[in-house]
Amino acid sequence: MLIDVKNLYKIYNEGQESEVRALDGVSLDIDRGEFVAIIGQSGSGKSTLMNILGCLDIPTYGDYHLDHVDVTERTDTQLAHIRNKQIGFIFQGYNLIPDLNVWENVELPLLYQGVMGSKRRELVETALERVNLLDRAKHKPTEMSGGQQQRAAIARAIATRPPIIMADEPTGALDSRTGRHVLEILHNLHDDGSTVILITHDNGIAATAERVVRLSDGRIIYDGSREGAFT
Amino acid sequence: MSFRQAFKMAVKSITGKKMRSFLTMLGIIIGVAAVVIMVSIIQGQNQRWMKYLESQGTNKLDVRASTWGYNAKDISTELSDYCMSLNDLVAGITPNLQMNEEVNVKYGTKTFSTWNYESWEDMITIYLGSEQYGLCNNYTIVKGRELSHLEVEKTNNVCVLGGRIANRLFDYVDPIGKTITLNGTPFQVVGVYEQKDVDNWPEWDNIIVIPYTFNRSLNRNQSIESYTIKAVDASSATRAVTLLNGFLKGLIPEEQGYFSVQNSNEGIDSANEENLVQSLVVGCIAGVSLLVGGIGIMNIMLVTVTERTREIGIRKAIGAERKSIIIQFLIEACMLCGLGGIIGIAFGYLGTLIAGKFMLQMILYPNMAITLGAFAFSVILGVIFGIYPAIKASGLQPVVALRAD
Repeated sequence: MLIDVKNLYKIYNEGQESEVRALDGVSLDIDRGEFVAIIGQSGSGKSTLMNILGCLDIPTYGDYHLDHVDVTERTDTQLAHIRNKQIGFIFQGYNLIPDLNVWENVELPLLYQGVMGSKRRELVETALERVNLLDRAKHKPTEMSGGQQQRAAIARAIATRPPIIMADEPTGALDSRTGRHVLEILHNLHDDGSTVILITHDNGIAATAERVVRLSDGRIIYDGSREGAFT
Repeated sequence: MSFRQAFKMAVKSITGKKMRSFLTMLGIIIGVAAVVIMVSIIQGQNQRWMKYLESQGTNKLDVRASTWGYNAKDISTELSDYCMSLNDLVAGITPNLQMNEEVNVKYGTKTFSTWNYESWEDMITIYLGSEQYGLCNNYTIVKGRELSHLEVEKTNNVCVLGGRIANRLFDYVDPIGKTITLNGTPFQVVGVYEQKDVDNWPEWDNIIVIPYTFNRSLNRNQSIESYTIKAVDASSATRAVTLLNGFLKGLIPEEQGYFSVQNSNEGIDSANEENLVQSLVVGCIAGVSLLVGGIGIMNIMLVTVTERTREIGIRKAIGAERKSIIIQFLIEACMLCGLGGIIGIAFGYLGTLIAGKFMLQMILYPNMAITLGAFAFSVILGVIFGIYPAIKASGLQPVVALRAD
């Protein structure tokens, strides 16, 4: 089991009148090599779940084992290493660093990993080739279209060759044609063996996944094959 | 991540945001340069003033006494005698008297007038002094000797020249033993004083001292109302002031005269005090301007916190350790502030040289301690506020930092 989540709670302002249960007892297993779409209305808790799965946030209660490692017990530095090596995170808003060009942005996780010289160059090049963006390597994010920026962000996410790719509404800010292209890249990555977890509110996109998890009010209300997800 | 990589990243961050980098440095540049220039000018002025006072000599008393009225008596002999009677306190005494009329100083084909001169640097003054003139006025003999007691008493035609006038009259010929004329009266040169070379007072080296006994024949027997006295040491000077005040009070009846005794040491003391006060005032102004510069730095750094918090969130999300982020920001702040500080020092030196040249006519260098102090202060402030956002934001959960807007 690659991802093993049990009774996960994320509660804001606990005990107060304004208490919000973003996650209200979520349990979920994801195996290596799966392509999972997490869907739900906005406010259903899907982004919160994704952030916790991606080690960007910590749950209020509950267990989270990532590759048999108890993530909730890790220190800040250990979490940084997990984020760096295990997870490639793709954001809806791209989150590229505006002062750095595409090459430098993609290089960044490798720098933090301590990959040196020619090895690093090779990895950046491979990642950029994969998203077909090598010719734009010297461009700054602001000089590119949304689709190109998202491809750069994908290149950054896959540069360290992490086993898990997590994408939070990766096509949300894109038109449908570029969105399809981005989705295609994710499927290609999945075909090459990556585990892909995708958040979307678009049923069309979710329908391309093997497995669909539907959240509502912080709980899982459906978890199964895509065939039964939309009935 | 290696240090080299962190360094590279910091450089990229600085060059990527040229405006922000420039504004941050500007605060430091202005702060450091302003402090360096301000303090240097005040110190230069003080230095010059102290040099003036010191070249006049210490333990020197300036005694003035004059009488008027129907049966005014000449008190100069009594005053002179009294001063000499204080011989355990007093090292020397000379009348403070100069020729009032135009005098033509002549040697060979050269003639200089005491009234007509091209610039004030050439102004010549002829003093009627005692054999202790040099001692009292802090001159040192560089060639020959002083006037002798006997020469003064016998009204011998001898004189001592100031260094500058000696050069002007004799060029490079040895003046000792040569004879110059003052309005036709011959005077043999017996000695030359060393040049004092005090900025702005070149006339101090343009003096000719002849025995004061010529007062009767050459100076219409002007009454001698002022004496310069050299005391043995500082405490003697203080005592002599008290004694002289007492003596003159008894000598000069009220409503019929005036007297004053001034101690040059008091001038130096008060100058020292003034310097201290000025230094304190300048210190306060400097402190305020540094603070203002510091607040400028602080503002720029804090204004960018939001933007930088997002950036830190991104860096954390892709796997940066807290340590790496803080090191990168630290290097960035150090480089920015250090560079700003160095540019500020350069401007400060340049400004000090220019201000010294035009305001004080001297080559002025900034005070090293002040320079380093201003540099250290702004760099420390800059670094503190430079890494503040890094320390704060790198401790957040990445998702919280990413949400910063």
